[in-house]
Parts: sequence; C-alpha cells; structure tokens
Amino acid sequence: MSEVKMVGLTIDGRTVRAAEGTNVLQAAEQAGISIPHFCYHPAFEAEGNCRLCLVEIEGLPKLDSACSTVVREGMIVRTSTAPVLEARKDVLEFLLAEHPLDCPICDKAGECKLQDYYDRHGLFPGWFLEAKEKRQKKISIGKGLLLDRERCILCTRCVRYLRKVTGTGELGVFERGVRAEVGTYDDAPIDNNYSGNLVDICPVGAITDTDFRFKTRAWFLEKRPTVCPRCSRGCAVIVESVSGYPLEEGERRVFRIRAGENPAVNGYWICDFGRAGRRDIDEGRQERVIKSASPESELSWQKALADVMARIRSVPGPERAAKVAVILNSRMTREELTLAKRLFAEGLSLDKIFFADPKPGAADGFLLTEERVPNARGVLQAGFSPRLPDLDALAASVEVLLVFGSHLLDHFSEEAVSRALAKIPSKFLFSAHTGPLDRLAEIVFPLAVSAEKSGTYINIDGLRQSFGRAAEPAPGVVSEHEILGCLAAGLGLNVGEHDVR
Amino acid sequence: MLKGWLVLRELLRGAAITGRHFFANMTFHTLKLFGIRAKRRGAVTIQYPEERKALSPRHRSLHRLRAREDGKPSCVACMLCVTVCPSECLSVEAAEDDDPEIQKTPARFVVDLNRCCFCGFCVEACPVDAIRMDTGEIRLAASTRAGLEISLDKR
Amino acid sequence: MFADVLIILVKVVLTLTWTLLLALFLTWVERKESAVMQDRIGANRASVFGLRLFGLFQPFADAIKMLFKEDFAPTFSQRALHWLAPTLSFFFVAVTMVAVPFGDAIHLFGRTIPLQVVDLNAALLFVLAMLSLGIYGILVSGWASSNRFALIGSLRGAAQLISYEVALGLSLVGLIMVFPTLRLSGIVEFQGGLVFGFLPKWGVFLQPLGFAVFFLAGMAETKRVPFDMPEGESEIIGFYTEYGGLKFGLFMFTDFLEVIVLSALATTLFFGGWQVPWLGAGGFVFPWGGSLKVAPWAVTVLQVLAFNIKVFFFCWLQVLTRWTYPRFRYDQLMDFGWKVLVPLGVVNILATGFILAAR
Repeated sequence: MSEVKMVGLTIDGRTVRAAEGTNVLQAAEQAGISIPHFCYHPAFEAEGNCRLCLVEIEGLPKLDSACSTVVREGMIVRTSTAPVLEARKDVLEFLLAEHPLDCPICDKAGECKLQDYYDRHGLFPGWFLEAKEKRQKKISIGKGLLLDRERCILCTRCVRYLRKVTGTGELGVFERGVRAEVGTYDDAPIDNNYSGNLVDICPVGAITDTDFRFKTRAWFLEKRPTVCPRCSRGCAVIVESVSGYPLEEGERRVFRIRAGENPAVNGYWICDFGRAGRRDIDEGRQERVIKSASPESELSWQKALADVMARIRSVPGPERAAKVAVILNSRMTREELTLAKRLFAEGLSLDKIFFADPKPGAADGFLLTEERVPNARGVLQAGFSPRLPDLDALAASVEVLLVFGSHLLDHFSEEAVSRALAKIPSKFLFSAHTGPLDRLAEIVFPLAVSAEKSGTYINIDGLRQSFGRAAEPAPGVVSEHEILGCLAAGLGLNVGEHDVR
Repeated sequence: MLKGWLVLRELLRGAAITGRHFFANMTFHTLKLFGIRAKRRGAVTIQYPEERKALSPRHRSLHRLRAREDGKPSCVACMLCVTVCPSECLSVEAAEDDDPEIQKTPARFVVDLNRCCFCGFCVEACPVDAIRMDTGEIRLAASTRAGLEISLDKR
Repeated sequence: MFADVLIILVKVVLTLTWTLLLALFLTWVERKESAVMQDRIGANRASVFGLRLFGLFQPFADAIKMLFKEDFAPTFSQRALHWLAPTLSFFFVAVTMVAVPFGDAIHLFGRTIPLQVVDLNAALLFVLAMLSLGIYGILVSGWASSNRFALIGSLRGAAQLISYEVALGLSLVGLIMVFPTLRLSGIVEFQGGLVFGFLPKWGVFLQPLGFAVFFLAGMAETKRVPFDMPEGESEIIGFYTEYGGLKFGLFMFTDFLEVIVLSALATTLFFGGWQVPWLGAGGFVFPWGGSLKVAPWAVTVLQVLAFNIKVFFFCWLQVLTRWTYPRFRYDQLMDFGWKVLVPLGVVNILATGFILAAR
C-alpha cells in the first residue's frame, strides 16, 4: 500500500490532518465538524451545485464550496462565521422558495435533510407572496418509484448515482434554469436491481417508494443494523420496524430495509432483491407450534420439543446413525451450525445430515451473488459437507427426520416429498415461514428469521460478520440456536454451548 | 361555662343561617309555584338534561374532522396527532387519494375515547386544521368499549 | 267484645300506617329540606306517568329499589341474627307509637273510643323501655356482621344510647313530678289547663329545662347527625356496614321512625299533645273573655290536626338540625351526655322539687 501523503490545515481554529486529495467537507467531518450539504455524496465526485456547503477559506475573495475544494497544506477554513451562516440561510431560502409544504404527506418527513437544515440553519420567515410553481407531483419512474418534481431540489444525486454506480443512467436533468427538472429519457422506466438506493440518497422526498409510501412515519421507525441474508454477499442493511404505539399491542411490523454502510462489502448500496427481504420478515410467518394431532391446542415450543427428544431417544443409540436424519440449511448462523455439528454429528453420531438450500439464482455482477444463502462458507467451516438428501433412501430407512427450513421443495416436487415423508414415522419441521411442508410434519416449530437473531455469517469472500437482533421476534418464535441448545441439554449431550463461537 | 355559652351562641347562629336559607328559598319556590316572580330561582343548581349551561368556546368536546369541499375529511393522515397524543388513543391509517395535490387521506381515523384524556394536543398539532374538538358533544357514553372507539372519518 | 277487638285492630292499623307513611314522607322531607337549605332542588325526578309532584314518588322509588336489591350476608355471619337485628330495631321503635294519644276520646255509637291504641297506665315507662330495647338491634347487628368495624360501631352506638338514656330518663322525672301520672293520655289532659290565666299549661312552660334536656337527649337517641357516632357513614365505619338492600332499608327507616317517635313524644309530653290552646270540648274559650262554639266533630278534627302539626314541626326542626351541624367528636359526645345533660337533668329535678315544695 502506497504511503498516503497527509496534509495539515486549520478548520475553525482546529488543526486537522487529512489525506491529500480529500476535500474540505470530508476533512471537516473527520475532525467532527459537520458542514451541511445536499448534493455531495461520498460515493461520487463533488459537483457543488447545491451551494449549501459554502465555507470561508482564507485567501479566497468569496465563499467557496467545501465539497469541491481539495485540501492544501496550511489552508485556513472557517465554517461558522457570520457570512457563512448568512450564506447557508440564503441558500436554504432559495431552495424553499419553490419547495412545497408537503411535509405532512411526505414520506421523507422526519429524516429529510431539508427539514433538518432549515431547523438548524434556517428558521427564517417565508416572505414570498407569489404562488409556488406547480409541477407534476406523482410520476411513476419505474420499479415502484415515484418522482415528485415539486419537492426536488435538483441536487442530481440520483442522476449521478444511476450514471456512475449502476451505469444505467436512466435519469437526467431536462430543460434549463427555473424549468430544469429530473426525468427519465422518453419515459423509459428505471429498470435495474439497485433502484431502491435512489430513495435512500435523495436528500428530500422527491423520490419515494410505493412499498413504503404512507405506511408509517419516519419517526416511528426503530432502526437496527443487521446483515442481509438473501445472498452470500452479506451486505450491511438497516431493518426499520415499528412496535408498540401506533400499532396494536404486541404487534411488530418491519416497514422497510435500507442500505447500511460497509465499505468492505457493499459501500452505501444494497440491491432491490435484498431490500425486498422485508417481506421475509413479516409475511407468511409461522406463528405458533402446530401439532398435527391437535392443531388447535396452544403448545409451547419447549413442551413440543420434549416430543422430539422422546422420539430420538426411542431409537437405540447404535441405530441412530441410520434411523435419524437431519436436513439443515445454509441460512443458519455460524454458531448454530457449530452447535448442530456437535449435536448431530458428534453427539448423536448421525450419518444422515443433509442440506436443502434455495436454488442459486443469477448473479448481477455487482453485489448480488448466485448463492441465495448467506452462510455457505460457514457451513464448510463448521465441518459439514453439504449434500442434498436422496428422498428414496430417506424413506427406506429413516424413522425420525428433523427438517430445518422449507427448501426441500426447491429441489423436489411437492408430490415426491410428501410420498417420501409418508413413509417416515416421525418428521418434525422447523420453519420460519408457512408452506406446503407444514401439513406433512408431525410438529411444526416457528423459527426466527435472521433479522430476529444474532449470530455470525461468513460471506462469499470469507469475511466473518457478526450481527445483533434487528427486530423483536413475536412471542413463541424461537431461534435454531435455542432449539439445538435445548435438544442437546435434553438429550444429555455436552456441546460446550458457551464456546460455540 | 363561658365556653358552653359561646358554643351555644355559635350553634344558634349556624341554625339561623341554615334556617334563613330554608325560609328564603322556600319563599321563592312557593312564589314560583304560583307564577309570581318566576325568574327568581330558589336554587343555584341546573337541571342538567333539560337545562344546559353554555359551553365555553374553548371547551374541548368530542373530536371531529373538518370536511373538504368534496365532503371527504380534510385530514391528510400525517399522523402528527398520533405522534403527539399522550394517551395513545388515536389510530390513523393512510390511503392514497385520487387528487395528486392531496395524495394522502385517512383510510381509518379512530379515536378511542376509552383512552382519550381530552388534552387537545391533537388539535394543536394538526398542520391542516383538520381535527377539532368543538362539536359540543359531551354526552359520551356507551355500553361497550367498542362503542367508544369512534371513527371520525365516517361521521 | 268483637267490636272492641275490631276497634283495637283498626286503631293499630291506622296508627301503624300513619307512622310508616309519615316516615316515608319524612325521607322526602329530609331530601327536600336539606336541598332547600343548601340552595339546591333535591330529588325531583321520580315520576309516575310523567307526574313528578316535586319528587314525592322518590320514597317509593327508593323503597322499590331496596326491596329488589340482593339480600346478602357476610360469609361468616349468623344469618338469623343478621336478619333479626334490623327487625328488632324497627319493631321496638314502631311499637312505641301505640302509647301515643292522637286526640281526645271520641263518642261514637254509644261507645267512648280513645284515639290511642292502648291507654297504658305506665305508658311513659313503656316508652322508655321500648326505646332502650332498640339498643339490642344495634348490638346484634354489629355482632352478626362478622366485621370488626361494625362491631366496634355497634359498641360505640350502645355506649352512646345508654349514656343518653340516663339523661332522657332524668329529664322526664321533673315532668312526672309536675303531672303526677305516667299515663300519656293523662299527661295530655293535664296540659289542657292554663297557667297565669292565659298560658296553656304545656310541659314546655312548666319544665323548660326538662324539655331542653329531653329533646337533646332524644336527638342523641335517634343516632342522627350531629350524634351519628354509631354509623358515621362518611368517615368512621358504623354498625350497618355489612347491611344492604331491605335490611339496610329497615335500619334507615328505623332512623326516620325514631325521629317521628321523638317528635310525637315531645309533642305529647311538652307541647300539649293534641291540645289546641284554649280549645275545650265545647269550643274556644279565650283568656281575654271571648268564646267560640265549635262542633264536637270539628273539635276532634282540630285536635288531631294540632297533634300532627306539632309533630311535623319537630320533624322539621330535627331535619334542620341534622343538616346544620357537623358530627360531634366521640369524647365531646360523651362529655355532653354525662357532664352537661345529666347534671342539668338533676338540677331540673331539684329545682322542680323545691318549687313544688315551696308552693
């Protein structure tokens, strides 16, 4: 790695050292001084069109934009002198002159930079008597995105994003001067797998997502980071959920998933496929333990698990290798896989440990990978050699079958699976989502999805990423970790639970 | 002894006061019964359901949603009232409005009077002056809890 | 013989009905009078077919409500005693009225019919005895409630009633010395005379101190504010805490009956009973020399009317007192009974004795 040349400068009287080539705005931020800005985004080159980041630089006759000025040795910058503050106020006033008072109906309200900056730097009374310019407020620009031209402040972040990051360039700025507006070319809709990021980078509510539109308000959201489980890239994501008021008692809803920042993996972006993972968390979930013999009765998972243990115990030790089978999946965390290894492979000495994962999809060359599971490397590291079960062989010899996840159906027809399972006396399903397998199992356990768990995934590049719980699981929903730990304890196996990491 | 006399004096004074009220009021009641000086009242109480005291203009009674010109509620479901409500009694769900100028309209606007404390914060928070508490309706009783969950957008 | 029994029966029924109706009416008076005193209107909603009559139907509404309330007794109480207590209270008070004369004897179909259920020759003792027996109702109710607070309340009540019983008895001794008879009809007849030639010879003029002691002690006996130590519904817990519905109603009713009995006794003993000033069997004979002939039936009517008006007045006075004064503290209550009323009663007896001896 080549030596980075450091440059010394003074910002607001503070001596700052920054790498050569960084701009003043970044250098200030490194020093803990925030300079307001709309158009600047660290992922793109500075454009300097919003003029909000104006600062005073000694030796220059006028204020200059912090984002487009590269640091020089001995530079003296002031970010909060009276002219700077005045300039910010004026810039905001220009922006707000044509900005509609849409805050009550705008999805961005509460996390809108324009709101924040007005609150911090503006607070001037509006004195424009003229009616505001009317523009189109609801233009569908593809992939569920809506463009509101009144709210747009023409920072062109979206245009630059589509040109520089995805390279598709569907959006452009049309017309000039006061008539300038963002739009698609010949109304050709945006169609790429990274369109959701437009909503994230838009500093105001000009581009909004119909998936989130009007569902809730930004200030109700509880934002917690996790790792995206939808492919083996392991992008950082932020799960935004609401629990409690204004929802009903005990209700929890995930309203959106946004990109987190992780320079080592995804930078600032995530794909739309991962963004749609919101539905995995809230839709089609198993809500309670269902015993097919008595489907109506309320049963705790601990009690139901006692049945599982009793069935495993009823198989004599030496015969277990042949008669007990487990089907795992690569969505389990590294910790759970270790526990599974110690419990099934070492503790119970099972031979028949299989894996059933979602079918690989096409990679898109940027972030999305072929593997649609987050922890394929973790499976290998845990010492498993994943293989699909042979249904006929299973049906012929196995007496107890534990299935984690419902991805058998990705590889076999429902008919084939039900035919094979019909021959197995005891089968237990541990699944987060409802599906056709439910009715085949003796007991179905509701599992937590990865956003409701903490653990570690190992991504396609071998990077270990630990994450915490991002959304509270519903009562009665249990993680594989708890299930496996409870099974091990119940079967009297020491799996060294405390050192699984 | 002196104390006894003092007590007796005060007792008699008390009886004089109540007795005076009794006879004065009785006189007015009687006169009114015969239609003489009917306006002078013998009592200060108000016979509530028949007689109503005028509510203060600032009085906070049952909420209402003001209507737009087309009759729909002028609420834009911004949920500021929901946010500000200290007793968590409002529940609003937004829906798409046909008018692109308005865009957002309540699909459901329920105030749960079981919880409402009539603080009026929702009225102050409303950016479009849609919710008001000036109906003058103070007879808010129901025989079930559900009867006190009032849909304002359907009224 | 049969006619005598029939007459007695009719008189019993009439007296009881009159008393109970008056008590019922008194509940309305109590509500309305307190309301008027306090610039309110009072209960006026009860109506029969839209007819409100100033809430006169309220007592009936109350009675119906109490009748239809659940009859309950605490878990560990003795149900028989629990029932017995209000019944005892009610009975002993109601039975007192048999000795009270409502008017002079009338002559009908050749018979002389006293307007009095029974003309006991020791009626005064009978009345005092019956009033004393009322204490049992209170004691039994406290005992039967299986509730410590009720028991304490009943003991408090018993102590109060026994204390004031003494003053009550002493206040009447002077009266017996003036009117040498225990027969109530006799006492009333004695009061028909005049003193100093113009003043009716009423007990209150002969025994002013005796009347004061009697009326105060009697009010204490009715256990109403300001002497409502036994029940103290607003703060301290009283003897009928564990009572509800009809049984509670009986206790309440007993209170009102006691007010009426006290008024009737005060009237009979100190205010000439059915006597109308200067009205004799033949008509009015005024002290300034004039006279007015009145038909015998009219005399009877006037006498009964006079008795009722006097009773009404004392009822009104008691209600006024009840809504004017706050409750005594317990030590003040006992002090007042033993240190004020009893000595005054004794002083009254001595004074009466001296005056009688000196004459």
